[in-house]
Amino acid sequence: MKKVISIFLSLLMLTMIFTGCGKKIDNDSNDTGGDNSNVNATDAPDATDAPDATDVPADTAEPTPDISKAVTLKWYLEGSNVTDDSEVLAKANEYLKEKLNVTLEPIWGTWGDFDANSVLAINGGDDVDIYFTCSWTANEYNAFARNGAWVRLDDPENNMIEKYAPDLWALLPDVLTQGAMIEGSSGYGVYAVPGYKDIAQQNCWDINVPLLTKYGYTVDDIKNTDYYGFGEILQKVKEGEGEDFFPLLVEGAVLERMVNNSIIVTGDSAACNILSYYINPVDTAAEGAYGNKILNKFETPEYKKFVEKTREYYLAGFIDPGMGSANQANDLRSAKQLSGEYLIGTQSYALGYEKQASKERGFEVAMVPCTPAFVDTTSSQGAMMAVSTASKNPDRAMMFLNLLNTDPYLMTLLDYGVEGVHYNIVNGEAVFTDTRANYIPWTNGMGNITLLPPQEGQGADFWDGFKAYYGSAKEIPILGWAFNFKSVENEMGALTNVAAEYALSLSVGTIDPTEKLPEFLQRLKDNGIDKVVEEANNQLKAFLDAKGE
Amino acid sequence: MDKNKVMSMNRRIGRRLNSISLPSEILINIVLALFCLMCIIPFIFVIIISFTSSESIRQIGFSFTPVQWSMDAYNFILKLGDQLWRSYYNSILITVIGTVISVLITILYAYALFRKDFKLRGFFMFFCFFTMLFGGGLAPTYYVCKLMLGLSDNYAALVVPMLLNPFNVIIMRTFFQTSVPTELIEASAIDGGGEYYTFFKIIVPISKPGIATIALLNSIAYWNEWFIPLLYVRDAKFFPLQYLLYRMQSQADFLAKNASMIGPEASKMIANLPEHSLRMALVVLVVLPIACAYPFFQRYIISGLTIGSVKG
Amino acid sequence: MSKSLATLKSPSRGFAKRKKTLLLITMVLPGAIWLFLLRYVPLFGILIAFKDYKIFSKAPNLWNNIIHSEWVGFDNFKFLFTSTDSLKMIKNTLGYNALWIALGLVISVSFAIMLSQLTKKFIAKTYQTLMFFPYFLSWIVASYFLLAFLDKTRGMIPNLQQDLGMQVTDWYNTPGPWPIILTLANLWKYVGYSSILYLAAITGIDSSQYEAASIDGASKWQQIRYITLPNLKPMIIILFIMNVSKIFNSDFGLFFTLPMNSGPLIPVTQTIDTYVYRVLMTNAGNPGMSTAASLFQNLVGFLCLMGANSIVRKVDEDSSLF
Repeated sequence: MKKVISIFLSLLMLTMIFTGCGKKIDNDSNDTGGDNSNVNATDAPDATDAPDATDVPADTAEPTPDISKAVTLKWYLEGSNVTDDSEVLAKANEYLKEKLNVTLEPIWGTWGDFDANSVLAINGGDDVDIYFTCSWTANEYNAFARNGAWVRLDDPENNMIEKYAPDLWALLPDVLTQGAMIEGSSGYGVYAVPGYKDIAQQNCWDINVPLLTKYGYTVDDIKNTDYYGFGEILQKVKEGEGEDFFPLLVEGAVLERMVNNSIIVTGDSAACNILSYYINPVDTAAEGAYGNKILNKFETPEYKKFVEKTREYYLAGFIDPGMGSANQANDLRSAKQLSGEYLIGTQSYALGYEKQASKERGFEVAMVPCTPAFVDTTSSQGAMMAVSTASKNPDRAMMFLNLLNTDPYLMTLLDYGVEGVHYNIVNGEAVFTDTRANYIPWTNGMGNITLLPPQEGQGADFWDGFKAYYGSAKEIPILGWAFNFKSVENEMGALTNVAAEYALSLSVGTIDPTEKLPEFLQRLKDNGIDKVVEEANNQLKAFLDAKGE
Repeated sequence: MDKNKVMSMNRRIGRRLNSISLPSEILINIVLALFCLMCIIPFIFVIIISFTSSESIRQIGFSFTPVQWSMDAYNFILKLGDQLWRSYYNSILITVIGTVISVLITILYAYALFRKDFKLRGFFMFFCFFTMLFGGGLAPTYYVCKLMLGLSDNYAALVVPMLLNPFNVIIMRTFFQTSVPTELIEASAIDGGGEYYTFFKIIVPISKPGIATIALLNSIAYWNEWFIPLLYVRDAKFFPLQYLLYRMQSQADFLAKNASMIGPEASKMIANLPEHSLRMALVVLVVLPIACAYPFFQRYIISGLTIGSVKG
Repeated sequence: MSKSLATLKSPSRGFAKRKKTLLLITMVLPGAIWLFLLRYVPLFGILIAFKDYKIFSKAPNLWNNIIHSEWVGFDNFKFLFTSTDSLKMIKNTLGYNALWIALGLVISVSFAIMLSQLTKKFIAKTYQTLMFFPYFLSWIVASYFLLAFLDKTRGMIPNLQQDLGMQVTDWYNTPGPWPIILTLANLWKYVGYSSILYLAAITGIDSSQYEAASIDGASKWQQIRYITLPNLKPMIIILFIMNVSKIFNSDFGLFFTLPMNSGPLIPVTQTIDTYVYRVLMTNAGNPGMSTAASLFQNLVGFLCLMGANSIVRKVDEDSSLF
């Protein structure tokens, strides 16, 4: 009896406090969320299909932005190698204080820790104002826009693009502004500011030239063969450099795409990219090798051939076993790139990157492209900055992003560092000093890089060439399409686990494909890969039909 | 005390009469010694690696008999940046503050549950022990801590999530039941001591062994925690030691890439960073305080846990 | 003040009583508040398991996010019962736990008995101290210990294999030996601790029982069988029930850090807990599925506890927990 009473009491207490809590929080939401009717509108079961632009409270017109309140903006970046940002921040904040009354607090995510930590931060509602996002990180642009993590920037109720960034939008190429238009939690619109960088996709072999010449080869020897013909060169270098040297520096997923001319299916990055589209390697604008179809990438004969070769290379000691560890691979790779402990690496290319890389690494680097440059959804969403819905100052965040992407001084300061300290301008080109080693953010990840002075060796007219190069890049037929896995979420969850188990290891050769590949394929089948592929193809077909009209 | 002595004397006599044969005793010794070796060898191995030169590691890998010894790793540690010392400081701070608060909360809760004349005893007993059986799970707890309680990137985030362990409440309540006579409380009440006065002046002094047990359990839990920081802390200035070790493991170049970790002096010598011995040296530094202290406090834990689990 | 109250007795007795209750409530209050905020409020988050959890972009906070997310019924649970992987992780969780409960029990009780038989007190103390050591270490530290032995290029065992001309095992990519490695690691960490607990219970047994038995000519084995084990029974049962109630939980650190989060090892290292965590950290699944898995884990764990307890009660009523 006593027990029953105590259970009853605790339940009573719980309900009492919960209802109390609920009321209080509801009131809070009225403060921040604006009109109640609006809240109800989004509460409707299918918020994405019903744009809630219908009933708008009329408090949108704000002629001049109010910046009287001092604000701190936290900014989460990807790919940084920053060990000392004090000088840069001192300068930047002085400038930003005056312009926008903003203090900037960057969070320098690295290639290794960004994925897990950014997702955790978003899920946990951390007070980060701006996140780096794109089509290929774990905090994937499309999925998180649907999840309500990003503020819709062109929200009809509060069109921040019109208010704060009309000139930026005019300056960005159509591919980017179009690419940013997606279906998100508040309807079809823009959920992040696209960075103006290498718009097109192009994968290259990253060659350590001094080492190559040391063993009597030239870059042409690489150009004249392909992945399947590297064996001899790798063998010779391996023998010369010893046990601890691994000549083939690969990023598992990228390597496979390079060799097979397949691309990421946007929207699928969370699941280790189990889907793939095979492009036409000769004319990228033409229909793909398998037609305009999405495939289970592990099932193709190309993939089988690839993993068998890779296994051979791995067993020969060409590939560092560390590359098979998802935790370590990224950081290990960048460390080895910097120290030059490789012969052939994989690199997704941006025009002029070989010059930049040669400088950063301190030896000559050559890039040998596998395909001509092409534009796909992934590259059109290649690097973006999204304003978090957890941000308390989304307007100021947007104003900052606008300034960053239109103001050469600010962009250069944050990207290159302080003039005279981290770099000097010589003949219109930026020449980095030794201090730059302490401050290397990911140049192309920050925003509009065409504002930057060209780097040493790129030539003063670099950006004209850059714009022309990417302006002429061909668009692949399925550009603009992103996979929405909502309807097959259960399958995707299961498949992700399966893929996490095999994909990376197979792609860098740490496990034996003769035994594991069939096993992998069977498990993919068991967990519904066919349903996912079918769903993807249905979506793609609908997209292409709509596009054709 | 006296009683114990008599008992152990009895036992000694008993042994003589009733001890096992020599061969079986040797066999037992071999089995136990092997297991003990297994318990302690990994740590000794890691100590050896931390004193191994990079050259030796390159040549023959990790080995119990390196070809060349070296103090490099420890010399490097002295030159490391603030991060290591900061983390040491964090670990100590979290352990001390966390232990003090959690012990206070636990013994107060347990004491009230021990009081038979406490009207709401049944309710609060259930309130506490129910959480051992049923919980919201990782995701909801994470959301509540982060989104509602603001446990994010601050010291509170490292201390608060582990403040109360119902198991410790059981241990403590059982301890009170076995060692605090009810008459003592009644007497104190008649003498006019308030509840808190009675608790702190009379109960706490006679419950020292029990309190020591849960204090030790809690401090070990705080010292060893790495999952809570993984969830709730992103800023390196709050990293405790164990989490630092975790990051070094999960991120290959955490040592080299982290400015506050490597420091200005050491970064000049980054090229000949004795990476592997350095990692192991850090492991040694994390384990050392425990290794030095536990032989002294293990008996408290044993006595406390025995009471807690036998009568719990 | 209180003295006068106590002596006045009858008229203010009710008041004193109420005051006492109030004071005792203030004692439980810090703990109760903590329990409420960190254990009971998250219970309400279980709703997430039945929703398509999304951030409510207009005013994101936990309440709004949950309230404005769409109900999806049991969709989030489907995964648990349809995919082959969920079967595997449930199997892993149960299998390892069952094995470790059994092994841990047998080995710790035997060690405790062995320790109690040693004639040299000093040696027994030394063994205890050494055995207890791993219990105080975190799994992170243990994972470095393991790495020292198994690392592919520098580890002791691969180097030994190479010296002996054997095929070098790529330990962190070969799932085969891991069930054994994990079992050893678990025993390494906990056997010392539970042996010492059992030993303490054995030392508490009245030695005259043994003396009497030995005078009656009982062998050592008979003494263990008829005196030691029956005396240990209550403790064995309590620890057993508590372990069984946790049979659906796993030691997260062990399964997560020791295998270095390695993909190929997932078939033998994935448990419900690591799954719940992995889903929270990546965006492929969703918080709903993670919560659903936790809820399932909780419910089954609860049932297991009740089951174990009622079985024990049938066998021996005094030993059951409740």
